This record gives sequence, structure tokens and C-alpha cells, in this order.
Amino acid sequence: MEVHGAVTIAQPAAARDDQYLVALAVGSQDTAAFGELIRRHQSQVRNFLRKLTAGSTAEADDLAQECFLHAWDKLQTYSGRGSFIGWLLKVAYTTFLQSKRKSKRYAEVLDEAGHVADLESRSYTQDSEDVSDLEKLLAVLTDEERAIMVMSYACGLSHREIGEATGLPVGTVKSVIFRGKEKIRNRFDIKDHQHG
Amino acid sequence: MTSKIINMAEKLKDAEDRMLESMFAAEPVADDGFSSRVITKIRRRIWVRRLALPIAMVVGGAIAIKPASQVVIAATKLLTIVPQDVVVAPAEWLPQVQNIAVSGSFMQTALYGVLLLAVGLLGAKMLTE
Repeated sequence: MEVHGAVTIAQPAAARDDQYLVALAVGSQDTAAFGELIRRHQSQVRNFLRKLTAGSTAEADDLAQECFLHAWDKLQTYSGRGSFIGWLLKVAYTTFLQSKRKSKRYAEVLDEAGHVADLESRSYTQDSEDVSDLEKLLAVLTDEERAIMVMSYACGLSHREIGEATGLPVGTVKSVIFRGKEKIRNRFDIKDHQHG
Repeated sequence: MTSKIINMAEKLKDAEDRMLESMFAAEPVADDGFSSRVITKIRRRIWVRRLALPIAMVVGGAIAIKPASQVVIAATKLLTIVPQDVVVAPAEWLPQVQNIAVSGSFMQTALYGVLLLAVGLLGAKMLTE
């Protein structure tokens, strides 16, 4: 039997649900409970960020680490209504956007100072030979479309959860997915299965 | 009821959706000490936060003690220098000189304290970031 402060836990860690672990982490600053949450969701978060950062493993892992640190700081804002992974992907997406803004600003400063801005984050390219099919697929999408498509098709979030994660209405999420699919269809000449 | 219909509609996936799902599917990423690294950082942050304020207060106090004592000494001297008739005579229509001197010294010390607290908090924030 584990004892965390005033809370006594009889169940093994794996059996406890996310919301219980969140309550434990918030209530008694239990880093072990948060550690269990990280172990459960790190794979999805890191995969999500790898797809957003054009497959850059190191950059994605740095962002994932930052994401979990932000998540720890903001854990009390998780209301428990949606899934925890949905909330976590929201934090990851915000972290990604912040980092992108920072590197853009940095590149602008370097540019103004007359330096060549080669520090800008990697971007997807369609033409290179050594990119995977998925990378070619993602290259035609904007950051927002890419994030939403990844949340939907790779992470299996519902439209409502994606809306909560991105701060967009459900209708907009649906139209972004539709637009993304259209782009992929047009770019790769995929037959529209729905309409023949 | 409406949400159930929406969920059912979402679940009705066509072949294109299934193809996209298979393309987006990725191998699970092994933890390889990732979670322990994050937890170590979080624990360090907790300690830094716990220590930052007391350290800032001790450092601030050490810096402020000398000027604060000088202010108190100066105010006491001023109060003893001011002639008694100046202090008492215009009491009905002017604030007493003693009050002005004491309030001024309090204000100065308070401003100094606020400044030190702001510097301390800023330092603590920078440390945690």
C-alpha cells in the first residue's frame, strides 16, 4: 500500500484512471502520480509533436518535455470534462505554436542584423527524395490543418475534443478536416471514396 | 441524443478515412527515461520555488537593513531638531511636521521594500524559468 501525504492509495498505479492521478497530482503535489501520467501519454504527445515538427525527433522531444512542464504548472486548470490526452495535446499544440513564434522572431532579429537566418525550424518539403509518404502528405497542409488532421487520424480525438484542444468551434474543425482531405486528394490524385 | 447522433456520424468512416488513419498511424515511442527526466526537472523546479522566496527575503533584508536603519535614524534626528513651537502652533491648518517626517520615512521604507520584493519575485521567476 502506497501512502501519498494524507491520501492512501490501495490500487496499483496502472489501475488508476487519469482523473484520479490528476486529482492526486494537484491535491498533494504528487510527482509520482504525474510521472505515471507522463508514462501513459508520452508516446502520443511525442508522436504528435514529431509530426508537427517535420519528423525532427530532437526538437519534438524538447517540445514534449516543455509541454509536460507546462502541463504540471497548469494542471489545476484541467476541469476533468474532456479526456486528459485531449487536454495534454492542447498544451502540446500551444507549446509548439509558442516555440514557432519564438524562432520566427529570432530569425527576424537575425535577419534585421544582416545574418542569414538558418535557425528557423525545419519545414516539410514535398520534393526531397528521402521523405516518407506521410511527410509528403503533411507538406501540403498548413500548421493548423496538420495539427487537426494528426489529432483526428493519429490520436483518434473526436471533433469536440479537437475543438477544445485548438480553441476552434466543432464546425470549423470539421471544415478544416474536409479542406485538409481535399488538399491531400488533389495533390496526390486520390480517388474520392465517398462520391465514387 | 444529439451528441449521440454526432458521435455515430463521426464513427461512420469511409475508406478514405481508414486509409488516412493507417498513414498517420505511428509506432509507440519508447519511454527510455523520458518521464524520469521530466519528473527530475519538475522536482528541481518545486525546490527552486520553495527556496526562491525565503532566499529573496533574506537577501533583500540583508541589503535593506542598512538604508532602512539610516532612514529611521534620520527621521528620529529630524523629529528632535524640529522646534517645538513649529510642531504645535499651526496644528489646526497644517499637518504637523512630525507627521510629515514620519510618514515620509515610512513611505520611503515601504517603497524600498516594494522595490526589493519586486526584484526578488522577478529573480524567483527567472530562476524557475
